[in-house]
Amino acid sequence: MSVTADSRAVAGSNAVRLEELRRFLEHEAELLDERRFDEWCELYTEDATYWVPANPEQENWRDHVSLFYDDKHTMRVRVQRLNHPRIHCQSPPSSCVRVISGVRLDEVTAEGGWLVRSKFVMVEDRPGNPQRVFGGRYSHTIVQEDDQLRIRLKRVDLTNCDQSFPMLTQPF
Amino acid sequence: MAGYTSDELRAMVQPDRVHRAIYTDPAIFEIEMEKIFRRVWLYVGHESLVPNPGDYYCTHLARQPVVLSRHKDDGICVLFNRCGHRGAKVLNRERGNAKVFTCMYHGWSFRPNGALAGVPMRQDFPEEPLADQQFGMAQLPRVESYRGFVFASFNPDVEPLLDYLAEARRGIDELVDRSPEGEVALSAGCHRYHYRGNWKLQLENLADMYHPAACHASTVGPDGRQFKRRAGDEGGDAAFFAPNGEAIVAQTGVRGLNNRHSSEASLFDKEQSGGHWDDYRAILVERYGEERTADILKNRRHSMTFFPSSDILLAQTSVRVIRPVAVDFTEVEVWPVRLVGAPNSISDDLVRFVNMTHAAASFIQSDDMEAFERCQEGLRTQGTDWVLVARGLGAEIDEGDGVFFGPRSSEVGQRAQHEAWRDLMGA
Repeated sequence: MSVTADSRAVAGSNAVRLEELRRFLEHEAELLDERRFDEWCELYTEDATYWVPANPEQENWRDHVSLFYDDKHTMRVRVQRLNHPRIHCQSPPSSCVRVISGVRLDEVTAEGGWLVRSKFVMVEDRPGNPQRVFGGRYSHTIVQEDDQLRIRLKRVDLTNCDQSFPMLTQPF
Repeated sequence: MAGYTSDELRAMVQPDRVHRAIYTDPAIFEIEMEKIFRRVWLYVGHESLVPNPGDYYCTHLARQPVVLSRHKDDGICVLFNRCGHRGAKVLNRERGNAKVFTCMYHGWSFRPNGALAGVPMRQDFPEEPLADQQFGMAQLPRVESYRGFVFASFNPDVEPLLDYLAEARRGIDELVDRSPEGEVALSAGCHRYHYRGNWKLQLENLADMYHPAACHASTVGPDGRQFKRRAGDEGGDAAFFAPNGEAIVAQTGVRGLNNRHSSEASLFDKEQSGGHWDDYRAILVERYGEERTADILKNRRHSMTFFPSSDILLAQTSVRVIRPVAVDFTEVEVWPVRLVGAPNSISDDLVRFVNMTHAAASFIQSDDMEAFERCQEGLRTQGTDWVLVARGLGAEIDEGDGVFFGPRSSEVGQRAQHEAWRDLMGA
């Protein structure tokens, strides 16, 4: 195979891979939209981190507060609470839709995973409350585990991450 | 706008109840800004926010933009964030460093102590007003600092800060003493949240050990214990319910201090230990000795709340600031502290756990905000004008020095806040 044909083949397989990753991100958004929080949690590896920094240039979770900084245990506690019958700030519950766009495969990581970047908008409605719109960028580090794609790190950079928020209950 | 006499305002606070209008009437909110927020000491920020000359940190006091700054000779200053010329807000970023603070409108500049530094085309102004300090960036009339915590007052005749804090100063001592160097740094930014409710709903919540069992039920696991919310292999979580369902958490006591401040006792039943907590403890023992260290790390208080708008959250090693915006809108900041001289891993944990407890997205704060908004909505109803604050009334224990202890989630702390409100508003 010539060099050109080889790179075309790589580009082709990347396109297939990108399509698979894009569908995976949309699946994650769908689980959250449908409030299937247990299944959502299952998409993450045991050593996963779900991170929403509170500063646009935040480099780590240690030097600055975060809106969310959840390891898998904390994610489970969060989901347990979201499913709890006495979570008052979800009575009645929120209804959300998340729209993802601009999905691109940024790099293949050293462990053979993928860093996928995208943009999103989330609309949240809850009876008695003003409609809320959130927007920003997702960065997913995704790995293959036992034939399943799983998320090792999800970083959500909200456009308004350093501003004041009303209560937040839904993962972005 | 309804007017109120001092006597009418005094009558809104009764020994066991307060009038709902203090939460809902915009006219009363305006009087509060004048008679409370412009009369007493208000926490501005911590000295660690402005470590170097020229550093500034912008915030608000009583709805007015102010600047905490550091001047090379004068040290810590608190300025009104207003150009001495035509009134534009001068500093528009939350934090930064500058030799002079320059107004974007006509280019006037001011030194970090507020003194006028430069006026473009100065020769066209008469010199007299330019020499007048009020046409610089004016300073708040009174500024005092206690162990790094900077307070200011709009009232030139306000009593000395330590007289105002009185017994509540212990909250600052107990926080700062957890650092082996006796120094904390508010260097990790802050959580900011807001709710559609009156500022006193947050203030009263900081003296409320009655609510966690109902309000925060969703944070408790099947074993009756809350999620782990602080460092250490042991002592990181608190028992909320006994196996028989009894709310252990509501047995926590509360104190009213000096007829204005309040303090909740600790709800933790075990001392923190294990993991890197033991390394931290060893450093404290080396510095302070075993007996003093045990006292510093004791599960003594959950919080110490300074009337009207700031709080040391000892349980979460952080500082909370309440910022009234309107009668039915309040912003709050929660700043975790880093303990200077403690292992980084300990301070990292302090930052991490506050994400879980007090971020807008946290497990605890979100249900409190729901409670505040429902109170604001419910208090609009006209069926009953009075709000009951009677829990533990008559069962207070006088501990001396103006401190009253109320066992079993007494509302004694809220009553102390209301007494301060009554005395200031009724003056």
